[in-house]
Amino acid sequence: MKEKRLYLRNEEEKFEGTAYARQVVRDIRFSTDARDFGYIAENIPCQDACPVYTNIPGYIRCIFENRNGRSYELNRMVNILPGVLGRICSRPCEARCRHGESDLGEPVKICHLKRAAADHKHAGHRISENLFAPSGKTVAVIGSGPSGLGAAHDLAALGHKVALYESMPRPGGMLMYGIPEFRLPRDLLMLEISNILRLGVDLHSGVAAGRDISLKDLLKKYDAVVLTTGTLSPNDLGIPGESLPGVLSGLDFMMRVNQGETPDVGERVAIIGDGFTAMDCARTCMRFGAREVTVNIRKTEEFMPVDEHEIFEAKFEKVKIIGLVNSVRILGKDRVEGIVFERNRLEFSRTGAGRDTVPIGNSEFEVPCDTVIAAIGQNPATDFNDVKFKLDGHRIFTKNGTHATSVKNLFAAGDCNTGASTVIASIAQGRGCAHEVDALFAGRKRKTMLVRFEPAEQTDRQRAWDFIPPVPMPAADRSERLADYRNEVEQGFTPEQALEESKRCYLCYLKYEINVDRCIYCFACIDVAPRDCIKMIHDVAIKPSGAYGDFMQTRDWTDVRAIAIDNKRCIRCGKCYEVCPTQCIHIIKTELIEQDLEA
Amino acid sequence: MPKNDHYVIIGNGPAGNAAADTLRASDKLARISIISDEMFTFYYRHRLPEFLTGALDADALTVRPYTVYKDNNVRMRLGQCVERIDPADKTLYLKHMEKVHYTKLLIATGGRAFTPPHLAPFRDSLCFMTRYTDALQLKPRIQDAQSILILGGDLISLNVQQQLLKAKKTVYFALNPDSFWPLKLTPEMAARIQKSLEKKGVASCVAGDIQDIACKKNGKLEVTLDSKCAFTVDLVGCFMGLTPNIEFILGSGIDTERGVLVDDRLRTNFPDVYACGDCAQIYNPALKDYWVSVGWHNAELQGRTAALNILGDTKVIKPLKQGVLEVEGLKVNTSWWKKF
Ligand SMILES: Cc1cc2nc3c(=O)[nH]c(=O)nc-3n(C[C@H](O)[C@H](O)[C@H](O)COP(=O)(O)OP(=O)(O)OC[C@H]3O[C@@H](n4cnc5c(N)ncnc54)[C@H](O)[C@@H]3O)c2cc1C
Ligand SMILES: Cc1cc2nc3c(=O)[nH]c(=O)nc-3n(C[C@H](O)[C@H](O)[C@H](O)COP(=O)(O)OP(=O)(O)OC[C@H]3O[C@@H](n4cnc5c(N)ncnc54)[C@H](O)[C@@H]3O)c2cc1C
Ligand code: SF4
Ligand code: SF4
Repeated sequence: MKEKRLYLRNEEEKFEGTAYARQVVRDIRFSTDARDFGYIAENIPCQDACPVYTNIPGYIRCIFENRNGRSYELNRMVNILPGVLGRICSRPCEARCRHGESDLGEPVKICHLKRAAADHKHAGHRISENLFAPSGKTVAVIGSGPSGLGAAHDLAALGHKVALYESMPRPGGMLMYGIPEFRLPRDLLMLEISNILRLGVDLHSGVAAGRDISLKDLLKKYDAVVLTTGTLSPNDLGIPGESLPGVLSGLDFMMRVNQGETPDVGERVAIIGDGFTAMDCARTCMRFGAREVTVNIRKTEEFMPVDEHEIFEAKFEKVKIIGLVNSVRILGKDRVEGIVFERNRLEFSRTGAGRDTVPIGNSEFEVPCDTVIAAIGQNPATDFNDVKFKLDGHRIFTKNGTHATSVKNLFAAGDCNTGASTVIASIAQGRGCAHEVDALFAGRKRKTMLVRFEPAEQTDRQRAWDFIPPVPMPAADRSERLADYRNEVEQGFTPEQALEESKRCYLCYLKYEINVDRCIYCFACIDVAPRDCIKMIHDVAIKPSGAYGDFMQTRDWTDVRAIAIDNKRCIRCGKCYEVCPTQCIHIIKTELIEQDLEA
Repeated sequence: MPKNDHYVIIGNGPAGNAAADTLRASDKLARISIISDEMFTFYYRHRLPEFLTGALDADALTVRPYTVYKDNNVRMRLGQCVERIDPADKTLYLKHMEKVHYTKLLIATGGRAFTPPHLAPFRDSLCFMTRYTDALQLKPRIQDAQSILILGGDLISLNVQQQLLKAKKTVYFALNPDSFWPLKLTPEMAARIQKSLEKKGVASCVAGDIQDIACKKNGKLEVTLDSKCAFTVDLVGCFMGLTPNIEFILGSGIDTERGVLVDDRLRTNFPDVYACGDCAQIYNPALKDYWVSVGWHNAELQGRTAALNILGDTKVIKPLKQGVLEVEGLKVNTSWWKKF
């Protein structure tokens, strides 16, 4: 659909928030206007990219002000495990950080700063929770991974009695049994989990639904049941030789290691796969005495679903990544002796952006090895014997845009519903599901998202801070890493390093806006602007979604309706604010917040 | 009638220059631009070690003077770095915020010294040399230094070591046993190189990888190898092979692995974008592997071939007849490295 033109011209239109050139915010104000949500999505890109919409500039500013406890709480409001995510998050926010735009340098180390707030908050830090009155309703959550913990936390806070069933001895799901200890210390994980259990969540560990307790009984006993059972069924390679001793599944391997085993992997290990599991297996093998570890991927590093940083750390530990190969067969008589690969070439996929791999004829080659680890993805285990629900491929089917399965009062969230994803996406899923269950019990929504506006002052950010290079994360040296599987690799920022990194954030939640009524078109702001951030426009388009569209620029004086700041280009340097002779530039703190509807 | 073609070549090395010459020979009218982030005109990289020790002066490095480009009507843009390519829009974005449009693009950006990731923490203590400016900066430090440790992982390290010996420096050599470009060294081969180097005057040649580099108060560097050998030296030079200059291409949609992926006609996955020389990676059916060929000879040949294909030909890069190179008592089969 074409953009519906016109925003400035439509003077009759009612609107709630602030907006380009139309209304100046002089006090705190809330909005549910689609334009304002659209504004947030485009203008605070890091927050928009975060599945739980963390107020990133807000918490980074708190670190700058040495308010680490407040920073931690800003995280915890939406992300129940800040210390954990500060270590192992997949960081979709950093990929969209404005500081990483092509002429602006590198993204802010958002994730390292999250960890810094968790590490440096006061030893006696008190967490805060908004607790609703008890509802008398009961919910069973099956699986205590990030999605189960997210669901249990929000359900408990909303006043419902939660029983959390977990088949393994300890809670945490893949945080406890997948991710290696050298990336995530278990005492920290248990501390943050216990902050959730404290809300009155009853943990039943070592109890598997469908095996030790029937799902049918659970559905009878509780007002609702939420399945957050993850993806625990690894995919097979489907090639000859797969059943030879020495061929392992990556997920099983990591789960064994994280339960205290030290498997003998020999000297040479070939790992097949390109995700988190493959990289963790490779780095773990290095710690168990392997000398030559290769991660063999079908495409190239550019298409790996793990972030650059993960790749760097693996290479630092001397793991080799071999691109453009396909496994063909595994060799060996009584156990693995080698593996045959063939080379691939890349082709544009039919859908556009991605790539397909095409094997190159007569390109097979052999690599000797002692262990082969297949880490090529996993699927949910969905057989609960007595209750049958609809599936969507291998995943649990849920009704369009909801968490409701095909069985009444049975919900699903996290990887078992979406397929393998990430920790933060799973937390968002679990929390979203909790609110859906709550709405079912209450008969209405009790929480909602709002855009909050507050007039703000020019900050003390200096232009020189825009040129500070990213602060590198201090890390253990190689020998220390390899000495013990549990030695944490990343050491965390010192308070000084965190302060330095926090200075780099532009604070995109500040909105710079020109009040047209007072603008005298002197152009002083355009003269000092560091980029093409201030524009002469004749209108602002409105998108079909109701959000603001593009600025319609003009050079024809008779057509100029405003000089406006394009906050998508603005780096919040404040130069325009400082030079404006009529002080017609306003700064408005613009935040996306979660609000109790009954508060 | 003037044509509207604009052939843009990124890189002013042998590959880029061979391509420009070939393009101009066949197309007298088209606009041809070479963009290079170096300030120096086309020069012999293999002479840098001699320049470094003072055996040659800067003039001896130059392949051809600037006037040649004027005569050939090739626009040479020196000191300009390409920061991003938009192949859909056929536009290059230069670091100084200029946009350059092309009709055909040749990426010939070569390589630079590779730092193995596990040596990254010691980067500040290591010296590298792939460009004229590297050599220029290093020159006074070499003059002041008495003892130098070379981390030897490629043929260039041997060349540098030779020149340092000629300049009467005390040279130590740590041979990288895991990867010595372009060979995979067996313990016997490593032992032969070690013996040969020591015979020629290298103070000590051992096989091993860096474990630690500590900077001492007197400015000297104490280097410990994993074989527990330790050296105290003034400088440590790192020569562990070259890595293609492709960072600016990542995210553009042009496929890369170690280098820019091209077919045997040097075409990338985008029409009208080609790559050649030290930055290009090609599948080699004889080796059953993708290969980045490093060397002057290879760069020139690929530059010419790419240019012909840009002009509409369908020339295929064939594996060259292998030549034999003598390296410290070993025979190395190579077709791409030129013995000067
Ligand atoms: C090795 C590895 C490394 C990873 N690294 C990262 C990373 O660095 N960053 C990142 O963002 N993501 C990472 N991931 C992905 C991430 O861990 C998952 O996306 C996330 O944990 C999924 O959360 P979940 O709650 O849906 O499921 P899970 O975490 O899998 O939890 C499911 C839980 O349900 C339990 N369960 C299953 N069936 C039953 C049953 N019948 N009864 C009772 N309990 C049951 C399981 O024991 C498990 O504890 C990694 C995954 C793996 C395997
Ligand atoms: C010290 C040394 C000794 C050598 N000795 C020998 C030898 O004895 N025999 C032999 O055969 N080979 C030798 N070589 C290798 C040989 O020099 C190379 O193989 C050859 O120069 C490769 O040519 P090229 O045109 O592909 O790239 P290069 O010559 O590397 O030229 C690429 C150019 O592109 C520029 N560039 C890169 N990125 C950008 C960008 N984003 N924007 C603009 N410009 C960019 C670079 O600065 C560079 O000037 C040696 C190399 C070195 C460094
Ligand atoms: S600069 Fe700060 S607020 Fe802006 S996108 Fe990056 S982290 Fe977010
Ligand atoms: S604060 Fe003003 S001058 Fe600075 S980048 Fe934003 S709009 Fe431009």
